[in-house]
Amino acid sequence: MSIKHATSGAAGTVQQHGLSEKGLKAGSVGLIGAVVIGVSCIAPAYTLTAALGPTVSEVGVHLPAIFLVGFIPMLLVALGYRELNNAMPDAGTSFTWASRAFGPWIGWMGGWGLIAATIIVLSNLAAVAVDFFYLMLAQIFNNPELGDLTKVLPLNIATTLVFIALACWISYRGMETTKTVQYVLVGFQLLVLGWFAIAAFSHVANGTAFDATAISPDWFNPFAVESFSAFAAGVSLSIFIYWGWDVTLTMNEETRNPEKTPGRAATVTVLVIVIIYMTVALATLAFAGVGEEGLGAGNPENQGSIFAVLAGPVMGPFAILMSLAILSSSAASLQSTFVSPARTLLSMGHYRALPAKFGTISPSYKSPSFATIASAAAAAGFYVITRTLSENALWDTITALGMMICFYYGITALACVWFFRAQAFRGAHSFFFKFLAPLLGGVILLVMFVKTAYDSMDPEYGSGSSIGGLGLVFILGMGVILLGVVLMLVMAKLRPEFFRGQVLSRGRQLEN
Amino acid sequence: MRYVVGYSANARGRDAVNLAVSLARGRGAALDLVVAIPEAAPFNAAHAPAAGYDNYLHQQAQEWLDEGLRLIPADVPASAHIRSGESDAQTLIDACDEFGADMLVIGATSNGLFKRFTVGSVAGALLHAATVPVALAPHGYHRREALTRVSCGLGDRPGAEELLDYAVSMATNRHVPLRVVSLLTLDEGDSAEAAETARAYAARHLAAALPAAGAAHPSDVVVAQGRSVEEAVDRLDWEDGEILLIGSSRLARHRSIFLGSTANRILRALPVPMIVVPSDYELKSPSHSTSNDPSREAQA
Repeated sequence: MSIKHATSGAAGTVQQHGLSEKGLKAGSVGLIGAVVIGVSCIAPAYTLTAALGPTVSEVGVHLPAIFLVGFIPMLLVALGYRELNNAMPDAGTSFTWASRAFGPWIGWMGGWGLIAATIIVLSNLAAVAVDFFYLMLAQIFNNPELGDLTKVLPLNIATTLVFIALACWISYRGMETTKTVQYVLVGFQLLVLGWFAIAAFSHVANGTAFDATAISPDWFNPFAVESFSAFAAGVSLSIFIYWGWDVTLTMNEETRNPEKTPGRAATVTVLVIVIIYMTVALATLAFAGVGEEGLGAGNPENQGSIFAVLAGPVMGPFAILMSLAILSSSAASLQSTFVSPARTLLSMGHYRALPAKFGTISPSYKSPSFATIASAAAAAGFYVITRTLSENALWDTITALGMMICFYYGITALACVWFFRAQAFRGAHSFFFKFLAPLLGGVILLVMFVKTAYDSMDPEYGSGSSIGGLGLVFILGMGVILLGVVLMLVMAKLRPEFFRGQVLSRGRQLEN
Repeated sequence: MRYVVGYSANARGRDAVNLAVSLARGRGAALDLVVAIPEAAPFNAAHAPAAGYDNYLHQQAQEWLDEGLRLIPADVPASAHIRSGESDAQTLIDACDEFGADMLVIGATSNGLFKRFTVGSVAGALLHAATVPVALAPHGYHRREALTRVSCGLGDRPGAEELLDYAVSMATNRHVPLRVVSLLTLDEGDSAEAAETARAYAARHLAAALPAAGAAHPSDVVVAQGRSVEEAVDRLDWEDGEILLIGSSRLARHRSIFLGSTANRILRALPVPMIVVPSDYELKSPSHSTSNDPSREAQA
């Protein structure tokens, strides 16, 4: 691991300390291990329950098509991600890369986008975990009233804050999930999702489905989506369902065979994920239809967490397994996701783009201390605000999240194009991986971002909450970005050296 | 002669450094400051690729070690190392192996609000698994001069003789008096008689342990009584520069109880540092032979 060909002062800041000799790590992973890590980062049970409803409300029966199409920009961007990660491995990821390519201002906003996206997903993860926590209590004690407790606003907010605080504490203490736990969690998720699909299809076959809908080839045709707005919204949501997949591509040192394992793991992971997404999406549509009444997948009431509504009718008494799968996957994700904003904040503190406090590492636990707590506070704050303002907070946070991922992934992909511009036309490999793929991916995502942002100004967008005639999703998304701009300007006043390019200066890769 | 110091950049780490300096000064030992950092664990990966965090951690650990080295006076040779492993305790044990350390010095805790010693999780894990003597610095330990007295807690468990041998060598090597301490709780029958029995028992063992030629070495036997072990410890007078040696009950039937319950209670009441000696430690380096390896603490 080294910064290759750093063309300027950055090499001095990110210097290597050859203090620990790195041998072959004891915990290195093979193909299956890497796939398990990939699937666990995607957390399919959680992403499906959170994103399936909102996506259906945008694109209706064309859900399978959008899920398939949504993978393309993710793939294109992730290829660029991998190139950057190989050239400049750094815990700041998007922040560091965009700063090196485009300078401090865009770099700062790239980092902010990543932090905002992960903070939003933290609040959504905690909220989904809380929903299924109460649902599970209801299922255990056979008392539906317990499940309704999650709708009591103060109780819901209090429980969510407790979940966030617990996950923050675990992350701060540097406690790690073990390999066995990961294998069990991932296996259990896939098993339960498969069970759900089979149960749904057998209801359809037996004529006991809520709104049996015949599967048609048209569902797989992305061009049949009625409007570009719906298409853009659908794609930005499906970016979210593949989010985390890039981890498999960027695993190098951790794998037993760095040449082959990451590529193969990425392929196998995406196959597993696409198969499970397709099966569950088809099963849900076939069982529940896209109607806006009752169990229909288009019912605004069901958008926040589709399985909370459907698992009972579909799986009967075994619905508790679904609660368990989602609760465990979102709780595990909640804890591991903390690492991401905390490390980016740490990196920004380190490079003096944020107050030095963010750069502190706990002497006892060796984790980013201040940054982890700051992330938890922000996630808690975001949730309290959204929950209080929104009619359906889960739905709106997921939509805002899709937007935010498009924003920072888009910036990151273009950073890749710009950083490697000198090499773009040196051979087919460079042309494709360092130029064409990230360029296409970045442009697609930024177009999706702008389109979704524009559409979300409509007060009817998302759950239909609005403030002053503007859609809440727009207010949340743009508000977060504007807040970033304001904080950036404040920081530029307080600690100008980063913004003058004195800490992390621009550079580009010249040779390879 | 080397001591590994489990260093962390907080009060606990400073306690450990102070104790290590004090121990090293009496014996001319060199210190190895070790900061244990966690190994990158792929199964803990989050959404973003984690590459590069190691850099920060190493850089930070290096800064911590530089600070740590500045705490050590010039007359004590010291070097600094960063090591990583699955757990802090395992990392420190491995470091002891790597450096052939004669002792591991750690701060017991920094959270002991009411009790002087509340064993932290890392210290607890070390006390269950370390293969070298572990010196525990109490909260807020700031003495750095050489020891002035060695105390040795004597029990009737197997291994008492080995522990006493170790204590005798330690006291003679450091030219400080030795005190053999027997702790009695009052429920153990008639107090006067029990005290006399304990005193005789301790004196007999001490006489056997003292080298015949060095009979002139100042040594003493005390019996402390109290309603509880804590009270007995409190009733003893402790010198500032004193250290208490106790044996572990590692060879007892339940191997997991490295630090016996009595030792644990002593630890809580004790105002001075303590060294816990593994019960099989002497077996590895017989103390009576005049070995040609002069580095072992226990050897004359």
